[in-house]
Amino acid sequence: MATVIPVDEFISDEWYPGFKPSYTHAPWYIDPVQTFRKEDEENFWFLDFHWPRGLTPMGLIWNEDGYNWASQLAAEQMPLPPGRGITCRLGGTHTYGSPLPVNDVREIGQRARRLERSLPPFLQNFDGIWGDMREEVNESWDFFRGVDHSALSLEDLRENLIQARQYHKRAFEIHFQVMYPLLANYIGFYSMCTELGLDPGQIGKFLQGYDTKIMETDRELWRLTGAARAAGLDRVFAASDASQLRSALSAHGGSAGTWLTTFDDFLQVYGWRTEGSCDIALPSWNEDPTPALGMIKSFLQKDTVHDFGKARNAAIEEREAAVDAARSTLTLDEQKLFDGGLASCRAANFPWWQDDHNYYIDLRISLPMRWACQAIADRIGADHQDDTLYLFWPEIMDVSAGRRPYDAGMRSLVEQRKQYFDYWLDRRPSLPKVVGTIPESVNDPILIEIFGLNSHFLRAVEAAGSDSEVKTLTGVPASKGTGRGPARVLHNADELHRLAPGDVLVCESTSPNWTPAFAKIAACVCDGGGTLSHAAIVGREYRVPTVTATGLATVVISDGDDVEVDGTTGRVTVLKNQAPNGRG
Amino acid sequence: MPHPSTGTNAIAWVDDIASDQAIGACGAKMGRLAELYQAGVNLPKGFTVTVEAFWRHWEQAGLAEFADAALDGLGPGAEPARIEAAAAAIRAEVGRRAMSADLAALIGGAYEELCSRCFEINVPAAVRSSAIGEDSGTASFAGIFDSYLGMSGPERVLDAVRDCWASLFNARAVSYRLRAGLHYTDMPMAVGVIELIHARASGVAFSVHPVTGKTDRVVIETNWGWGEAVVQGLVTPDHVEIGKADGRILKYQVADKTVVSAFDYAAGRVVETGMPARLVSQRVLDDEQITAITDAVLAVERHYGYPVDVEWVLDRHRREGEPICIVQARPVTVTTAQSTPTEWDPAAMAAKYIFRT
Repeated sequence: MATVIPVDEFISDEWYPGFKPSYTHAPWYIDPVQTFRKEDEENFWFLDFHWPRGLTPMGLIWNEDGYNWASQLAAEQMPLPPGRGITCRLGGTHTYGSPLPVNDVREIGQRARRLERSLPPFLQNFDGIWGDMREEVNESWDFFRGVDHSALSLEDLRENLIQARQYHKRAFEIHFQVMYPLLANYIGFYSMCTELGLDPGQIGKFLQGYDTKIMETDRELWRLTGAARAAGLDRVFAASDASQLRSALSAHGGSAGTWLTTFDDFLQVYGWRTEGSCDIALPSWNEDPTPALGMIKSFLQKDTVHDFGKARNAAIEEREAAVDAARSTLTLDEQKLFDGGLASCRAANFPWWQDDHNYYIDLRISLPMRWACQAIADRIGADHQDDTLYLFWPEIMDVSAGRRPYDAGMRSLVEQRKQYFDYWLDRRPSLPKVVGTIPESVNDPILIEIFGLNSHFLRAVEAAGSDSEVKTLTGVPASKGTGRGPARVLHNADELHRLAPGDVLVCESTSPNWTPAFAKIAACVCDGGGTLSHAAIVGREYRVPTVTATGLATVVISDGDDVEVDGTTGRVTVLKNQAPNGRG
Repeated sequence: MPHPSTGTNAIAWVDDIASDQAIGACGAKMGRLAELYQAGVNLPKGFTVTVEAFWRHWEQAGLAEFADAALDGLGPGAEPARIEAAAAAIRAEVGRRAMSADLAALIGGAYEELCSRCFEINVPAAVRSSAIGEDSGTASFAGIFDSYLGMSGPERVLDAVRDCWASLFNARAVSYRLRAGLHYTDMPMAVGVIELIHARASGVAFSVHPVTGKTDRVVIETNWGWGEAVVQGLVTPDHVEIGKADGRILKYQVADKTVVSAFDYAAGRVVETGMPARLVSQRVLDDEQITAITDAVLAVERHYGYPVDVEWVLDRHRREGEPICIVQARPVTVTTAQSTPTEWDPAAMAAKYIFRT
């Protein structure tokens, strides 16, 4: 029985004061941004971690251009065989995401064949493809950096904002066009490694030790830390709160003034980044250097200086050792397969790109829109520079075109919306992490890897939804496949009559008189036994997923627990049923 | 040169029966040993009380009529209780009806010959069921018939032979046959009498991974002492995987082995008992022994030309370089023919692991 978490508390057409989501205005590819409706309960929604504060009205641009345009476009173009990308619904100011499935088996098959043709060349040419895309992003970045907003008329600022949004939208097209295939390759490799029996904890190491733009930034921060120490500024840093550091250093003068010049040079290169992803409401380090100064302050508190060269060498050494150890457990054929996958994942390295693209896209791509919005705020005489972030796109278009005055009514609307934002900010900690219908599995690579919506997560939220707890056992994978059902814990063959079709048999071990039971059970879990124990042989013969040598199955699992047995990996996931002896 | 005790077809020595007749006369288990002897595999000494001996006893003792009457009216959907009752009645009757003096003398004589070949009076023997067709095709009767390890002296061996015959009517064997549409006469019972190797360690070895079906490796599972605890799943054995292409040990997982099949001298048989503490988490096999086992199972696979699993015993007197002893071999029950790709195919991997298309 699927677990359903109601969406009722979010079903509302009431939203930010003066605006209804049904005013949807931005183009979407498959499904638009909306508030929840009752029928959304049939789908699975997870609270998006990217915006822990919630989104301002202008922040909604990311949902529109990111998920509901770019991810859906990328999923259709790649294509993602069983999915059309990600859509979202709004719980107040907070975003719930959901995968859009393809349900037609014939269409999924056709999309899978298209992917067979599109994926290999993308991966093989990744360096050039990403290089071109990065260049495109940088070229536009340089353009927007070069704009002197003070010289632009309100009408030109409006045009600049439209261009900045188009840039933002295009950057996220690139983002998802790269992320989907890279992740598909990475998760495929990761899963294959797991099936080859490699320790999942080691797999990430195979791809580490490659420099990224983010690491370059960290290196510079450490360089600045060394300079601050050399200039004898430890005490100034120690004495001030991070938010007061800039004025404290200016007031200190002398060597501090020189250091600040160096710091500003650093900001001109590395300071165009926000402290969170994809949010126009967030300032860059240039606008507010508190985060960077705070990091240097904390680095100064350490006695040792971080040695990047040493750390990198250690990472490389660890990588090579992990690869060698993994290969030693593989047959020659498997080594060939592993080497091919590793080479492909290194050439199109997702963990590396994940860091690298954040620098070029996620952490700074909202800034040109932010600058334009702030300049418009100045020009229309808003009370605060950020007030325009509380306007919706059609509103700021009207205001900047002079079609609508920024009058007392709008000012009051902005104040009400700030209160609405704060109200939902307070509610954030108590919001459900997932709502709707929890699926058996999620097959969108982004949701699996970035949001961690793997089967273990899904079983855990199911358990939370049914007020139970989840436990995992591992044992010897004895008969492959997965099976799920209510547990029946048997201590001897006299109890075999208690098994109902679809039950998961849990026992210490089986002997030949247990054989007939295998015709009706969904899976089998044993405390002991290897791959030639009776349960293993009969499990294979009857094609019943079986895991042996779990050690404690008959202790940990109780009658009625919802148990999922993966006979391929040896993993047993147990959702404890709180109602004793209940049939799940 | 015919041996005195092979003058009749009731007895067939492992080292003295033609390959093409072995399985028909000796059943699957013992017939294969005879084939392996011809192929040069190292085996324990032993003989088979043949299918013909079974039939001879069956007729002489009037058991055919009794069994037919007891099984009359039982079909595939029969009540488990009725099957159990009929099976128990037949087993009891097999136990009650004595063997003819001639047949008893033939088996006893063969056992005496085995003792003299082994240079041991009342040599402890493994008495194993070896029914016709018991591990053919998909329906494995593995573990469904009886075996008795450590039977010493002619009386105990004779009793064990009759017990093996009776086990043709173990309830689960009867219900298995009813469901499969088989009659017991389709699978008459030969019985092997084999020298009991003094086991330092035993186990099983597969020439294919029994779970994944991968043909690129040998898989060994092992425990101290005799192999019964492993085969019956009473113990979690040490698990070893070896790459076939280069003989490299890919993994050795040492298990906590809490049960051991050991010789109980007072009872005169192999019994399952608690593992001595010092052996529980001790690695069973060294690299040289692993190589010997790998060589043996691959020799058996080469002989048959298809994946096999074998039961093997490491004789406590074995010296480095000597072959391992094989006590049973059979085709692997289920092999999922799995074509393992050797070239990285990102779309295929994504389809398999993410999209499940």
